[in-house]
Amino acid sequence: MSYKCSRCKRDVELDEYGGVRCPYCGHRVLLKERSRDIKEVNVN
Amino acid sequence: MMVPVRCFTCGSVVGEHWEEFKQRAREGDEDPAEVLDELGVERACCRRMLVSHKDLVDIVSPYQ
Amino acid sequence: MSDQYDVTFIEQDERSAKFLVRGITPAFANGIRRAMIADVPTLSVDTVRVIENSSVMFDEQIALRLGLIPLTTPDDYRPEETVTLAIDVEGPATAYSGDLVSSDAKVQPAEEHVPIIDLKEGQRLELEADAELGYGKDHAKHQGGVAVGYRHLQRVELGDERGEFAEDDPEIIRGVIEDAGASETSRAAGDGGELVETASFDNDLGNRYPDRNVSVEDVPNAFVFDVETDGSMSVDDLVLSAVESLRTRADELEDAVQL
Repeated sequence: MSYKCSRCKRDVELDEYGGVRCPYCGHRVLLKERSRDIKEVNVN
Repeated sequence: MMVPVRCFTCGSVVGEHWEEFKQRAREGDEDPAEVLDELGVERACCRRMLVSHKDLVDIVSPYQ
Repeated sequence: MSDQYDVTFIEQDERSAKFLVRGITPAFANGIRRAMIADVPTLSVDTVRVIENSSVMFDEQIALRLGLIPLTTPDDYRPEETVTLAIDVEGPATAYSGDLVSSDAKVQPAEEHVPIIDLKEGQRLELEADAELGYGKDHAKHQGGVAVGYRHLQRVELGDERGEFAEDDPEIIRGVIEDAGASETSRAAGDGGELVETASFDNDLGNRYPDRNVSVEDVPNAFVFDVETDGSMSVDDLVLSAVESLRTRADELEDAVQL
């Protein structure tokens, strides 16, 4: 899973042991990046 | 957020008039009723769409 | 019921019209109205493939806005046929309906100046949209007719002179009147009389005939239609295809019940 630290804006890879924390600055708020897939939406 | 494309009640397209309405009646000092008459938005249901609208994009965009 | 109807246009534009039809039953008038709203198919965006959307609105919200934009609908489209439209706008700018690029030159947004989304610096909207032919009864975005309605034609007859001290309450009527009192000649000839829109005298018969008593009556089987379209087709096409759809369904019913 790729996230982005909301403080230092660096890309962060999370594994199941490290917990939710940026390894570079220790900030605990991470943002999930939008997938690069083409998303199909139905209009209704 | 953005101006509705159509009137909720009757379905006529009102979005196209928003920018002129905003420029003349909100930022300018013309009477909103007269501007709407000139734009051809005559039904009360379509008029309220423009009169009661507030753009919110500028307000939420810093929090992206 | 005869095959011919007496139709008089009172007002006619590309996108709106007012016309009088004589010789139809109330049920048939309502049938036409309902067919104009629900049974005339129009093209409208149905599926959206979002390639990039970094705007402040969700993909679904933008898809809904695209769906509501009227598209011009040529009459050679069949249900299930699709047209692809694409848009690519980079901020700072506003994406308008006119920025949509269509794969078929005959299918274009009917309005060019509908704002879709306001894009700030660094934001971008890139997507492809498939438009499909659909019916108003399935989704309001496919409604070709907007604010379609009809009223009875009302006939105004002049009575005697009003007394000097009589009450002068306003006599409010709306729509179109058949004014039998307008000219002596039309009254003598016994024909319908002049068609007058009530808006021309501020909807108050007291303004038109200040000191006469008047009587107002519905004309049987005469209806004044008020039709507006969203731009996907002209009013003529809308009304004609509505009547055609009624005819098709009546034929289908006839076939279905035959032994």
